[in-house]
Formats: sequence, structure tokens, C-alpha cells
Amino acid sequence: MELLQPSSLAEIDGGLAIHGGTEVVPLLRDGILEADRLVDIRGVVPRGVDGNTIGAGTTLAELEAGTTIPAALREACTLAASPQLRNMSSLGGNLLQSTRCWYWRLDYPCRLHGGDRCHAREGEHREHAIFANDYCASAHPSDIAAALLALGARVRTTKRELPLEELYRLPDEANRAVVTLEPGELILELELPQVEASTYLKAMDRKRWSFPQVGVAAARVGGEVRIALAGVAPIPWLLGPDGLDAATPLPRTAWKVQVARALVARATSQLA
Amino acid sequence: MARLIRTEKEVEGRFEEVWLVVEEDPLTQWPAGPLTVVGHDARRQDAPERVRGEARFTADIQLPGMLHTAVLRSPYAHARVRSIDFTKALALPGVRGALGPGEAKGLEEEAGFAGAPVAAVAADTFGQAQAALAAAEVDWEELEAVLDPEDAVARELFTAPSARYERGDFDRALAEADVVVEGTYRTSVVLHNSMETHQAICEWVGDTLNVYISTQYIWGVRDAVSKELGIPGDKVRVVCEYMGGGFGSKNGPDEYTFVAAELAKRTGRPVRCALTRREENTAAGNRNATLQKLTVGAKNDGTIVALGGEFINAVGWSGWSAMTEGPTQMLYACENVRTVRHGAKINTPPMKAFRAPGFVEGTFSLECLIDELAAKLELDPLELRRRNYADSNDDKPFSSKNLMQCYELAQKHWDRRDEVRARSTDTWKHGVGMASQIWFGGGGPPSYAWIRATSDGRFTVVTAMQDIGTGTRTAMALIAAEELGVSLDRVEVVLGDSARGPYATLSAGSSTTPSVGPAVRAAAADAKRQILEIAAQRYDTEERVLDIKNGIVVSDDGNVSTPLEDLLGILEDAQILGKGGRGPNPTGMSVLTFGVQVVEVAVDVETGEIRVERVAAAHDVGRIINALGARSQVEGGIIQGIGHTLSEQRLLDPETGRVLTTTLDAYRMPTIADVPEIVCEFVDEPDAHLTNLGSKGLGEPPIVPLAAAVANAIRDATGADVHELPISREEMLRALDAAKKKEKRGAPAAV
Repeated sequence: MELLQPSSLAEIDGGLAIHGGTEVVPLLRDGILEADRLVDIRGVVPRGVDGNTIGAGTTLAELEAGTTIPAALREACTLAASPQLRNMSSLGGNLLQSTRCWYWRLDYPCRLHGGDRCHAREGEHREHAIFANDYCASAHPSDIAAALLALGARVRTTKRELPLEELYRLPDEANRAVVTLEPGELILELELPQVEASTYLKAMDRKRWSFPQVGVAAARVGGEVRIALAGVAPIPWLLGPDGLDAATPLPRTAWKVQVARALVARATSQLA
Repeated sequence: MARLIRTEKEVEGRFEEVWLVVEEDPLTQWPAGPLTVVGHDARRQDAPERVRGEARFTADIQLPGMLHTAVLRSPYAHARVRSIDFTKALALPGVRGALGPGEAKGLEEEAGFAGAPVAAVAADTFGQAQAALAAAEVDWEELEAVLDPEDAVARELFTAPSARYERGDFDRALAEADVVVEGTYRTSVVLHNSMETHQAICEWVGDTLNVYISTQYIWGVRDAVSKELGIPGDKVRVVCEYMGGGFGSKNGPDEYTFVAAELAKRTGRPVRCALTRREENTAAGNRNATLQKLTVGAKNDGTIVALGGEFINAVGWSGWSAMTEGPTQMLYACENVRTVRHGAKINTPPMKAFRAPGFVEGTFSLECLIDELAAKLELDPLELRRRNYADSNDDKPFSSKNLMQCYELAQKHWDRRDEVRARSTDTWKHGVGMASQIWFGGGGPPSYAWIRATSDGRFTVVTAMQDIGTGTRTAMALIAAEELGVSLDRVEVVLGDSARGPYATLSAGSSTTPSVGPAVRAAAADAKRQILEIAAQRYDTEERVLDIKNGIVVSDDGNVSTPLEDLLGILEDAQILGKGGRGPNPTGMSVLTFGVQVVEVAVDVETGEIRVERVAAAHDVGRIINALGARSQVEGGIIQGIGHTLSEQRLLDPETGRVLTTTLDAYRMPTIADVPEIVCEFVDEPDAHLTNLGSKGLGEPPIVPLAAAVANAIRDATGADVHELPISREEMLRALDAAKKKEKRGAPAAV
């Protein structure tokens, strides 16, 4: 395996992008990802905060300490992972992380891996999705994505600019991907609107270093309240007008609806 | 003089009648309470080495030319290997050897669980070994798998005959009871997850096999390897100087040792076989799941008249069926008790002893049931326990029991109930719960120690025990220093090498201190006697007026006052060698440990979040040797208990029987942020009948009552009866919902 360390975007020609390595390295080790060439993008992806623009190479540790960062994003970073992981992991990488579904992580031939069934639906799924779980019941684990979704962030990539919700897509029979990035396309920056108030609440089963059982981000932007959830659907989930009444829990995920209801109510009241 | 006796030997609640050669134990016990060094706080002697990273664990050992092993494991819950072809694997770079089923103990043709080892490959690097495994061509025959323990019981698939017990007349007593409470309780599989995974390095030097291994029992590994390989015990040298945790899962050598030994023989190179973290979570043993149905009958005044239970241990493919019914039989005075325990043989990873096996699970159920009874009787749970205090264990007297004093120590923590409950808000409910602890921990013979006194006035304790991380090395040094009358820094303990010292027992069953400690004291007394004999001759006085105090040889009349090193200086190269053995346990007595824990919790009734805020523990384990070490044991037990109570759970795929939680982000142990305020107290009263020390073990007791105390605190806070471990948010919300429905139906919620 070769490791390239380009100093400009123009130098990149294929290969698997790696930044902090907190996700890519374990997946390589487990054989979920395979690559002959790794491209260390730390030298080419912007890092740091400039007004409402955040470089995708900014670490979670830098974001949680950022004084101009909206509360929801800051809190989502503080509650994510462990200090060691936050010191290494980048904002862009966090948005692109894969599900914690144990079947997917153990390389079961599930739909997300191109197979023909979702093992979690009939199997062990107590930590899985309560929305959009018909085809694949995996839950997206990014606290940060939920926060940015509620905040109404826009993404600038090497090819285009788009609202964050368009970065994600639900997997289907024709396409199993959960993101819309094209091969070689890199996230460069996130752009935030002016935020009036925001918060992030998270249910975990221990106090630190836990992926969200349910994460709830709420933000008021331009007088409009947006609520987004982590850990409840195969992608970060923007709560629709029917709220949690639209949930379709599996037999063992009904409890997550109850937790989500409580956290949504709390998060909303905190914006007032 | 050595004596041959017929006695009952207990390890982890398993008893057997054995012939035993024991040493006489003529020393009288020290007076109760803290002494000169024993009973005070002592920092671990090896703390600097550990902190500086100099302590050499098995995982640190690199031998020249060492090969690495990868183990082929069954992907099926039940299967047979028809054949394995290693031709392609052996042709790969760096590959040095391969073993198939039957070529080393533990590699078997029939794989009884997903993860069962069947073959192994050794190569220059671990990566090469893994690549070779992938190239091995295996023809599997899949067999029928049984994954559900209740299904196994129905089909009478057992690991051992079911254990039935009855005293008195349970049915009649239950019929005559004023109140009856029943409960069904479930506990989940939890994993030891020692920091150091199971591993061994084997190296042949001539006809001697050196085994470096992370183990709780160097001598046991020596014997098992010697037997399996058909070589004399003294041709097997087992070394474990520092150990990264075992908790019961490392009592024997297992397949990784035999694989390394065989591959070392075939390749002529040292061979390491170490489990990865994923393998550790899959195949290194576990605390088995249980299903327990308990019944208690009582009089209106709280007198328990009938206790019964049906216990299913979901043992797995191998392992043993622990005494889950133990607390129900032993904790309370009750004339009518009936229990039955089944050990279900299923195609799941094997059970291995895990810190008070059986009693952790059986205390959860019993102590929850007792609180549910207290609620029904509207009695104070602590008062209910006092009213049913047992004065004997099924007619056998206790060698000592100070549980009542533990209750006294706990009273002030119990009295915080009103104050704690008053913190409750609409969403966060606060409450206090308690649970009692009963467990073994008396240790037993044999175990031996030697002490060498040298002319510089220093002492070396030599014993083939091991310190599995609990600090027993320092405890042994304290005992020797106390007996010798010298400061702790003059005593060094050499352990962890079967070729270097006499036999010592395994570090399991809370038995190291009560087993090896008395031998160390006896050896120190022997050395001291010899020193005083020399002193009497040197100073022309009688031995009986002489003593060693604070490193100075003194006489009653004050005429002699000589620093020990001055006296021993005359030895030059002559040495004083003391030896000591562990005496017998008291005949006809029940040697047990006791305690109580009082837990304060807060429960978010909307989200099911549970916070353990404070744990107060009072334990009775006889004499305390190292007060700091003892508190550290209690804290560790409580933290580990919080894990299996709230967040730890090994999950299997119900279809394939494969472990799903193979990494530490999925198998969730408590972090330091989850650790509550912990208060520890000890009765610190020597057991007058037990050895020259009066000490029992403390490794396991602190984990025993925690889960029940948390569940009882949750009931106090919310009125909800939780019946399942771990108490996940799902279980907590279910129990809250059930309590709400019960209230609506008009039944009073628990008080």
C-alpha cells in the first residue's frame, strides 16, 4: 500500500482519501475498505474557522473550543467520541463516517454492502433506525451531521456547493451509497447561516465515548426552528412536520422514539 | 510437621473432597486492628515500574526470532471440519508452520460455537499469519445449533446434571405464608475484557519449555502443560511477572498456549499466540446469561418462611454451571428452601469464571426480590434483612460473620434516604437502595513461601504465586515486614516464576491473600526465630527476651538494641532461610465473606437515563492487610459492577450465533466519567478460626451486591421494578411504563 501526501488538490489522482484516520484505518484493518493507495489530504483541505466558514479539515477538538461556533455544533463535538479521537478526527471525515450497525461492521453481506437483505431487521437491532428503516435499518452515527443539518449548513466540495441535506441520500436497490459524493470529490468547507439559538442533546449509554442512541439538534435560523436527529435513520434525519409521529420503529427500537420525543421537547424549549 | 487430612476444598463455590497434606499452623493471630504496617495504607511496591512503563507484561515480551500465530475460528455456531488444506497457505511468504484440528489441545474438529478454534498458522509477522489463514481451504460441515437456553433445558441438553437442593418443606411453608412474592430475572452475558488479551509465548530451551503467559495460575499452567505434553513438571517453566487482568478468565492454559508450544516445537522458534481484541470478545470466556424464577413467602412481621428458585445458567459450549442459587440458599435464615439449577449446553461461546460467578447473578435476583417483599410488607428493607439474619449456613457454623456490623456501618448511608429523595424533580427521580453480599473467599491449603535473610538486613520472599494486578505482591511484603519487625522497604517479593519458588495457589476465588498470606507469615516467623537464635548466642541472652522492632533487635531489659543489619552482618555469605506453609481451614465451619452496599441513583423518567451517584460499601473480609489496596479492590469491583448493571452486554446474532459486539465501542464498559463517589468501610475483625492471619479475600465480594443495590435504588426513586441486566434505557422505560400501568390499576406503587 502506498501513502501519498499531496500539497495541492491538483496533484490528487485517485486513491482513498484519509484525514485523521480514526474511521478509515479501522475499516482498512477490518477489510471493509480496500485500497492500494492512500491519499493524506491534510495538506490540501482547508482547516480552521473563518467567520461563518469552517474548513473541512478542522478537528472536532478545535470546533468544541471555537468561540464563534454555534452551540449545537460545539456541544455535538464535545459529546462525540473521546478526547483522543476528537484531537485526530476532522469535520469532513466525521460527516462521511459509516454506520455503527454491527452487521455492516462485521461485513455481513447486507444491503449496504451490496447484498440482498438487512440482517438487522430480523436480527439484533436495538440500536437501529426508527425512520426510513424499510430497506436498511442502519443508524447514522454522526452527532456533528445532525447539528449542522439543524443549523442549515451548506457544503462546498471540489466540484459544487450544496445544502447539507443533499450530501446524504437513502440507499436503495439501484444505489447503496448514503452520500452523493462522486468518486474523488472532497468536502472542502462548510458554510453556516446566522444562527439565533441552537442546542444539541444526546442520549448515550455511558457518559463519554458513546455513539448517539438518539441525538437531537435544534436551531432557530431566521425565525424558523429546524430539528435534526442522529442515530435514528440510515442518514442524518431532518425532522418533518409530523415529527416523531412519522417514526416506524422496529420491535426493539420503539424505546428510541420515546427518548427522541423527550429530547426534542427539551431541545425545542431550550431555544425559547 | 506436615499432616495428611481429608477435607472439603472450595474454589469459586465448587466443592470437592480431597486428601491434603497440610502444614501445622502454630502461630497465634496478631491482635485485631491496624498493626505496625499491616492494616495501614501502603502504596504498591511496583507502582513506579508500572507508572514508568517498565513493568514487563506478557504482551511486552519479544524474543529473538519469535513467530506470530493466527488462529482459524469457526464462522458457524456448530460445525465440523471435514478437511483443511494448508498447501496454499504454507507457500505464502513468512509462513513457518500450521496446525489442524487435533494437532494441539483446544483445536478440535467439532466447533461448538462461532469463534471456536480449529486450526492455527505461525509466520514471521502476525499479518502474514492472517494472510495464510485466509488462504487455508476449509471444508465445513454445518451442524444443528441450539442457541436458546430454555430450548436446551427443554431438550435436556446440560453441561452437568441439574443441581437440586431442599431443606425443610418448601411447599407447605409457602402455603402457610402471609405474603408471597415472585419474580423472574434475567442477566445478560458480560465479558471480562482484560486490558491484556489472553496470550502465551512458548520457547523450547533444550528439553525445557518456557511459557510466558498472562495467567492467574502459573503452577496450574505448569501442571496442565506438563500433563498434556507428557514431560515432567520441572521441564515446564511458567513466567508471569506482571499481568494485565484476568477476572477469572485466565485460570488455565487454553488453546493459545498449546498452539504456541506445538508450533514452537515444530519450527524450533519461540512462538507467540495472542488473541486480538475481537477474539477476546468472542472466544475468551464470559459471565454466562441466566434466567431465574424466584419465590419468597413471608409472615406479616417479615419473617421469611420459604425461599425457592429455578435457575438456568446459559453456560455455552463449555465451562461450568456456577452456583447461581447460592445466595438464595445461604444469605437468609429460612428453614424451607428449595432450588434447582440447570446448566444449559448451547452453541455459544464458553462460560469462564468471572468475579464471583453465580453469586453476582443470584444476588441480583434474590436481593431485588427481598426489596419487592419489603415494599409489599411496607417494611424498611434494611430492617427486613436484619430480621432474617442467618446465624449458620445450613446448620454449619460460620467461622466468623460480621454482616450485622456491616449493616451498622451502612446505617448512616441508609439514613440519607429522605435527603436524597428530596432532590427529585419532575424528570429526575432520586432514590437509595441496598443489597447484601455473601460469597466464599476463605482460601485454603496448600501454598508455600520461602524467605531469605541476607547480611545487609534485607529480606526476599519467594513464592510461585502471581499478582494478577490486585496488589497481592505488596500485601505479601506487608505480612512479612510485620512479622519480621522491619519496614516495608526491606522486603522484596519475588513471584510469577514457577521455576523460582515453591507452590502457591491460583489467584481466583478471592483466595490469594487468605491462602498465601499465612504461608508468608509462617515463613517470616521461621526466619525471625532463626535470627533471634543467632542474636541470643551473639549477645549471650535468651531468645524469649528478644524481639525485632522497627529493624532493631531489642531485648525486654533494654540491654540489647542492635540494628538488624549489624547482627546479620556477621552472616557474610551465610543465609537464613525461613519456610512456611498454609495451615488447614477450620473443620466443620463455613468460611464466607459478607458485606452490604448502599447506592444512590438518579433516573430521568422521560429518557430512561440512569446515573449512579454514590456507592457506600461496608465489607467483612476478616483482617485488612493493606487498607489502600483493599479500598482499591472495592472501587474496582463497584466500577466493574456498574458496567454489567448499566451498559455492558454481549450480543449475539440470533440467526448465526456470532458475537456482534466485538469491539470496545460496541461492548461498553464504564469510563472514568461514569464512576460515582465511592465510600468504603471495613469491619476489619480477624476471623479467629481462620489461619494465623484471620484474613479472607476481597477480590470478588465488592462486585456481588452492586447490581441489586442499583435496581433497588431505582425502585426507591421511581416505583419501577427492573428485572433485567443490564438496565438499558429500553429496560428502564419498560419498567417505568409497567409501574405506571400498575398505579393506574389502583395497586399502590412501591414505597
